[in-house]
Amino acid sequence: MTADTKTPLLEVSNLRTWFPSGRSEVKAVDGVSFSLAPGEVLGLVGESGSGKSITGFSIIGLIDEPGRIVEGSIKLEGRELIGLKPHELRSIRGKTISMVFQDPMMTLNPVLSIGTQIRLALEAHEKIGAAEARERAIKALAQVRITEPERKVDFFPHQFSGGMRQRVAIAIALLHRPKLIICDEPTTALDVSIQAEILSEMKELVAELGTALIWISHDLATVASIADRVAVMRFGNIVEIGPALAVLTRPQHDYTKALLDALPSRAKPGQLLLRGSGVADAAPPPRKASVGDLPPLGSPYLVIDEAVKRFEKPAGFIKNLAIKSGIAQPVPAVNAVDGVSITLKRGEVLGLVGESGSGKSTLGRMAAGISVPTSGTVRLADKPVMSSGRSPRKITTRVQTIFQDPFASLNGRMRIGDILAEGPLAHQLVTRAEAPAYVRQWLAAVGLDPAFANRFPHQFSGGQRQRIAIARALAMQPDVVVCDEPVASLDVSIQAQIINLLIRLRSELDLSLIFISHDLSVVRHLCDRVAIMYRGRIVEEGDAQAIYDNPEHDYTKRLLAAVPVLPQAA
Amino acid sequence: MVGYLLQRLWQAAIVVIAMSALVFCGVYAVGNPIDVLISPDATQDIRAAVIAQYGLDQPLWHQYLSFLGRVLEGDFGRSFVYNMPVSELIMSRLPATLELTLAAVFFAALVGIPIGMYAGYKPNSPVSRAVMALSILGFSVPTFWFGLMLIMVFAVQCGCMPAGGRGDTVSVFGVDFSFLTFDGLSHMILPALNLALFKFSLMIRLARAGTRELMLSDTVKFARAAGISEFTILSRHVLRLISIPLVTVFGLELGSTLAFAVVTETIFSWPGLGKLIIDSITSLDRPVMVAYLMLVALLFIVINLVVDLTYALLDPRLRKGRA
Repeated sequence: MTADTKTPLLEVSNLRTWFPSGRSEVKAVDGVSFSLAPGEVLGLVGESGSGKSITGFSIIGLIDEPGRIVEGSIKLEGRELIGLKPHELRSIRGKTISMVFQDPMMTLNPVLSIGTQIRLALEAHEKIGAAEARERAIKALAQVRITEPERKVDFFPHQFSGGMRQRVAIAIALLHRPKLIICDEPTTALDVSIQAEILSEMKELVAELGTALIWISHDLATVASIADRVAVMRFGNIVEIGPALAVLTRPQHDYTKALLDALPSRAKPGQLLLRGSGVADAAPPPRKASVGDLPPLGSPYLVIDEAVKRFEKPAGFIKNLAIKSGIAQPVPAVNAVDGVSITLKRGEVLGLVGESGSGKSTLGRMAAGISVPTSGTVRLADKPVMSSGRSPRKITTRVQTIFQDPFASLNGRMRIGDILAEGPLAHQLVTRAEAPAYVRQWLAAVGLDPAFANRFPHQFSGGQRQRIAIARALAMQPDVVVCDEPVASLDVSIQAQIINLLIRLRSELDLSLIFISHDLSVVRHLCDRVAIMYRGRIVEEGDAQAIYDNPEHDYTKRLLAAVPVLPQAA
Repeated sequence: MVGYLLQRLWQAAIVVIAMSALVFCGVYAVGNPIDVLISPDATQDIRAAVIAQYGLDQPLWHQYLSFLGRVLEGDFGRSFVYNMPVSELIMSRLPATLELTLAAVFFAALVGIPIGMYAGYKPNSPVSRAVMALSILGFSVPTFWFGLMLIMVFAVQCGCMPAGGRGDTVSVFGVDFSFLTFDGLSHMILPALNLALFKFSLMIRLARAGTRELMLSDTVKFARAAGISEFTILSRHVLRLISIPLVTVFGLELGSTLAFAVVTETIFSWPGLGKLIIDSITSLDRPVMVAYLMLVALLFIVINLVVDLTYALLDPRLRKGRA
């Protein structure tokens, strides 16, 4: 880097962005300073609430009310941005600095065609005719490797996949050849293979155009694969900044070290992750249901045989007539799970890996007795999980589920104690008199203060809520727990705590787990056996170590190759 | 698309037939028009002759079927009171109601939506707060009171506006319209304003709620990050995104106003459908009631169909699966 000799493109010094909250202020960004050379890629890493996104928004001048920049300076090519009038800032936004957001689903306007959205962005900074705008839009789409841009320019966002949408957003950000692009978690909502494509394309594009990039992410490995320099943020401060390789292999600051240690990809599979290993958890309460009739550890337990789940919309009377007479198209049916047979042995952890739409969650829901297979059987210790008949329902309490989103899966109007006691009371695992003590024991077992039983879900953080969800599932005293992406929405350090909790509870309670995840490193860390799902089928299944070391199927190979890896210390 | 339209037409036919049966039976339960039609001192023979003339001596199902048969030929019967074909009678009143309600609903939408969007864009400005307070008033003030106040202030006190009637009309293609003459227009303003008040408040609140929510969305943030001006964001992005609920309510309000502008039409003696139906009910003019209620059902069906087609026009995501 020639950052020392040339004037920096961007110079941020002592930036403080505060949000008033009640009587006090939330200091989201509190004294951030860094500089960026032209064409340089800076990775901004931190956990949620560290202020990394607010830093990005401060630079582009889009702080939501009532937040404000209270102090500091942001100089773009020597020109001070703080204190500029709104119209002056607007003339910089999109032209000199542009931004790409996390979720391409939310950023593009669903009711305007791609071509229209690109034209609006063009018209923001230049006078341009409709024909020329269309031509520029086609060129812009071609630049971000969208095939058939002449046709796709008239598409609407919903006709694109997630990765394509993010490419469109990047195309819009690149329209006016900006000197700086701020990317706020641009690949977080995407599958690993798409993420790998976007990452490599982004690298090529910035190298080709000489654009500087600020890449904001919580994922150290993605940042490592794109950034020249990395800045680690915590509590609104940059705790460490330096060349990417040095920061990630020889971290100086304790927080960076802790962040790295919390990653399952750096630990030995099955071991407790370093961060959070010191959390003192109480022993879970004794099981009430008899354990004597359970098969021995290691014998086949939950058996899924030729399970198929088909989703189709029922057609009405007239629609059927229209289909038969050829006026309307037949209703398309989707086989989300297409003939899957798999066996979970008692006491093992089975990883179910796949990208979005692979049917892994649908399979998990069938295993957990939440939805009924269109054909095929799901049996637990030779007894069906769901009753037969027209409206089948779950007839066992031995399988429980932990869902991905702890914000959506807990009823916000119920107290934690009631949430935990609801199931056990309904199934007479405890009496009403025993319930409060039972709830307290489980809260202690998942590392929460037993006094929390009187609180409501909104009073907890994401990690705490996921602990509550785990306690709720385990309070039913199951033998099998289906975990559907239980750590996907959590920060790395919280993720480490939850993984540790699962490892510990599994060995203490002899649980069998089905662990559904798109994160290959988490699966590697936690699972004994892994099944790779692709388009509703299991393409490869086997011992975790063997699959990771010697993948057989092409899809598995591609999936593993797409995972960004951290540089290892020499 | 064709399959979808066929399906909708099929639904519409069922609704109209069900509606006609309901209305027919309902109206016949209300009272006997013979008591109104014939003077009490008529002889029994005259009574019987009149009853037979209107076919009222037949059993109900027979009357219904012969009514349906005539409707299929486009004949809704003759009004007992006006002694003219019902279709002609309704057609002579429909334009008056149509122009009044269209003026009211479009005024409410064209003025209410921009004001609502402004209130949603700057929720904390004093103007927005005042607008919101007034819109609550618009909801809660009864139509008849507001109409009387309008007449009191503008017609009685100022004398600058006429208090009732339709004023001069101009005939276009054989249909009379008021809005083409200055006098007619001045007659229309007060009743249209009265009719618009509730819808106006509704549009303001809907537009404000939608805009307020969207201004915080990533779509708007992304547009701002591209340097697009606030006006373009509001007019091109936000308006399109909030339009679906607006169109829904617009359609519903248009239908109900067309059908039930009774109060306003009565207060301002506007010779529209609302007044006609009230008169028919008091004089038990069965053919008019039946035809009118079927017309209302048909109106709602057509408006709903148009609204649904507009959805597909506004939101490309809804076009999928219907193509």
